[in-house]
Amino acid sequence: MLAKKMIRDISRHKAQFISIFLMAFLGVFVFAGVGGESVGLEVNVNDYYEETNLADGWIYSNYINDLFMYQVDALGATTDMERQLVVDSVADFKNDPEITLHFVENNTISKFYLLEGEKLDIEDKEGVWLDKSFADEKGLKVGDNITFEFEGYKIEKEIRGLGYSPEYVYHASTSSVIPDFNKIGFAYMSYKAFPEDTVPYNVLNVKFEGTPETYAELLSYHMDGYYNSFVERSEHVSVSQFSEEMDQHSMMSDIFPVVFILIAMLILLTTMTRIITHQRTQIGILKANGFKNHSIILHYVSYGFLLVLIGSILGLILGPITLPQLFYPSMSATYKLPSWNPAWSMNFVYVAALMVIMSIAVSFYSVKSISSENPADTLRPKAPKVSTSGIVEKLAIWKHLSFNVRWNWRDAKRNKFRGLMTIIGVIGCTALLVCAFGMYDGMNDLKEWEFNQINHYDSKLIADEEATISQIDEVADKVNGDKLMEGAIEIESDTAKKSASLLVLNGTDLITPTDYDRNNVEIEDDEVSISQKMADMLGVDVGDTVKWHIMGSDKWVKTKIDKIHADPTSQGFIMSADKLEDLDLNYTATSIITSEHVDRKYDGIKSTNSLNDMTSSWDELTEAMWLLIYILIFFASLLAVIVLYNLGLLSFTEIEREIATLKVLGFKTGALRRLLLTQNLWFTAVGFILGLPVGYFVLDIMWKSSGDSFYILPSITLTNFLLTAAITFALSIMVNLLFSRKIKRLNMVESLKSGE
Amino acid sequence: MSTIIEFKNVNKEYKSGDHILKAMDNVNFTIDSGEFVVILGPSGAGKSTLLNLLGGLDFVTSGQIIVNNNHVESFSDNQLTEYRARNVGFIFQFYNLIPNLTAQENIELMKDIVDVDIDGLSVLDSVGLKDHANQFPAQLSGGEQQRVSIARAVAKRPTMLLCDEPTGALDSKTGVLILNLLQSMSNNQNTTVVIVTHNAILAEAADKVIRIKNGQVESIVVNENPKNVTDLEW
Repeated sequence: MLAKKMIRDISRHKAQFISIFLMAFLGVFVFAGVGGESVGLEVNVNDYYEETNLADGWIYSNYINDLFMYQVDALGATTDMERQLVVDSVADFKNDPEITLHFVENNTISKFYLLEGEKLDIEDKEGVWLDKSFADEKGLKVGDNITFEFEGYKIEKEIRGLGYSPEYVYHASTSSVIPDFNKIGFAYMSYKAFPEDTVPYNVLNVKFEGTPETYAELLSYHMDGYYNSFVERSEHVSVSQFSEEMDQHSMMSDIFPVVFILIAMLILLTTMTRIITHQRTQIGILKANGFKNHSIILHYVSYGFLLVLIGSILGLILGPITLPQLFYPSMSATYKLPSWNPAWSMNFVYVAALMVIMSIAVSFYSVKSISSENPADTLRPKAPKVSTSGIVEKLAIWKHLSFNVRWNWRDAKRNKFRGLMTIIGVIGCTALLVCAFGMYDGMNDLKEWEFNQINHYDSKLIADEEATISQIDEVADKVNGDKLMEGAIEIESDTAKKSASLLVLNGTDLITPTDYDRNNVEIEDDEVSISQKMADMLGVDVGDTVKWHIMGSDKWVKTKIDKIHADPTSQGFIMSADKLEDLDLNYTATSIITSEHVDRKYDGIKSTNSLNDMTSSWDELTEAMWLLIYILIFFASLLAVIVLYNLGLLSFTEIEREIATLKVLGFKTGALRRLLLTQNLWFTAVGFILGLPVGYFVLDIMWKSSGDSFYILPSITLTNFLLTAAITFALSIMVNLLFSRKIKRLNMVESLKSGE
Repeated sequence: MSTIIEFKNVNKEYKSGDHILKAMDNVNFTIDSGEFVVILGPSGAGKSTLLNLLGGLDFVTSGQIIVNNNHVESFSDNQLTEYRARNVGFIFQFYNLIPNLTAQENIELMKDIVDVDIDGLSVLDSVGLKDHANQFPAQLSGGEQQRVSIARAVAKRPTMLLCDEPTGALDSKTGVLILNLLQSMSNNQNTTVVIVTHNAILAEAADKVIRIKNGQVESIVVNENPKNVTDLEW
């Protein structure tokens, strides 16, 4: 019988139980969905690395011969190794695509992942195994021929297979963070396909025991000077870029569901408290008739339990099936993995279980107080909440306040709990909106800053590594360009050691470093400027001295910091060529920038990129971000509607009798709606004001997690700030309108019949 | 004295499924301005329905209700609200004060719906509750709450006071006090007062007694010499 009563109670309070169900569902859905996506990424990429036996580290040297390998083997920790020649080439196409060639000895480490065609064959002199993404862009098939030019050689090979490589999950050119597979690619060949008998191997893929740190120390202790640099797996461009991406995803899956789960619990608590207060006398009757306390508690606890259980299970099932499908397509455009499958983690079940347990606790909490009373007390109605006069009423202004304001003030005062929850709901909504719009503004601001305020060139020509100084000078003359040098460096302060970038400028006005407020920062010929974020990470300031070296060289130099600039995408030093040479380091121009539009090829130039191309590839990269922003706005609105409607309903039932009385007395529907709206607006305003810093805080965490190279501070434009306010308040008013029908249809006679 | 309220062939039916309940069955009567009218009848006879129809809380099924020459039965929802605000002062069995407004505020609340300047304190004074002006309903006794409720009803100077079992929740001594107050309003301020009750003793104090049974008017008696409420045998 109690089960029947429960079903009827639930259907009578449908709106609220539906929202409990929805919030439980959404919380678990988002958690398991985004979690399934990020765990999926991790599982997929780890399986891929495992299957292709990705190297633990890469040792770079000018020439790797048998003696070199013997020495590496003698380190003891090395378990497996394989050398290869990695060289940049240009494929024979109109846009001069940049293809990295790998001449391999047997390809047992960092194996080519075959998707089409035949397996990589070391005996095959004429075959090439090509990057599938590049082949797709160019319409190349197995059996087609392709020609590569490098270091004066020109080789033509037949495509034997197409596939991916674990070293190229993420593959972008030096000039752009976004991969453009029309212009970039990689290819694997047997060492026998190399045009000379002796292959000048330059990379040694190693597998080793122990931590990368100990291996690096061992290497530098025993073989210092014999090799250029050592890169461990986590520092590898492709690996680190992808793991940064994964970090962002897993952080999202941690933050947002917490909001939903909290709100679901709040709604459950209010709904249960209300039902139980309503059914006080019923509980008394049940008790008076001999129902045991625990069966009454069980009865009420099962309300929320069942709904949250069903909602959680549905969320667990549907989340991982649907949500990853929203993210994977845009990710697979940037990252190349053989499989994109959502994965399952026991954590999802734990969160769902926690949710169910919390629902039990919350229901138990609200029924406990009544169940411990004796039946006679429970049968009597609870004494009504007494209003009291406080300080505010003693103020002179009170007398001049309208009835509406006075009524709402006191109503809010006697229902603090309800008010508190409305405020929390609005805080959640505002915070999510601030986050969404802040991300939107940050992305746009970054684009404007990077592509309009710092960089003013039209084209950027990337020099060949083998290009001679005179070649570069010649091209620079022809295009009226300015030379610059870019490189990877490592900076060490007293407290930290960080990978950074080096930019050497030659008095150009095509790149103008700025500070965060977009004021130009003039860096004199004898000055070194560090980016703000790098300075923060290293804990240094103007006047401090740091140690640094260019990657691939072990020559450390000391430099005093003279200036601080800010940059949205690259963190490190900016200095002049004179300064670099003063520090006794070689200046080698790596690219040329020009205000002219360059679309022809020059000797010694590997590739040419226009600022427009970079801007549009940035737009492509950020597409996935827009999706996330829309999802955030949608959920923020949903959250506000559910919370405001629910609590509105709660307060409406509590004051139904008062509303009926006022209606009988002759108050118009409009006036009564305003009465309800006033309080809603107060709470919305408070929630909004408190939500702003919360959103700001979350936004800050999001930007900080976006990777070491990005520098974006949380901020929001005035327009979007106003939009946030408009959405929050519009939702509040819209929900209020839902109640005007209820006021109209309120049956005065019925509501007034019984006494308290 | 002039007729201010007239019920002409009023019928009221409630439908629940196939079943039709006739709550008002061809009811006819008139009430004069300033009259102290008692409507008597056993529970379920249709007294409250009559009062609700007269007060503009419910619609007739057929017939006419004419108040101050206006056809109340043809009013729209908005007109009914306006009608209640200007013409009707309600007094309920359970007082129905707004719990989070003080006694004085409950009365001054009326300023929001009618263009009458109301001095809450002096109205409270007229029901003898000036000292309780700043107390909330929950801090007042039942009789005091009902007096505030009467003060609230008369403050806006309505055409009529409609009282549904106004003493139903009070002890008899307090009840007499309340009824006396209502009678004196009728006598001294020429306010039309309609009281619904099942207490037949009150009949002797009324100017007019309308008896209702099974939704029909059983009898209408006009008292030439009504007694004072305080002189009745309770």
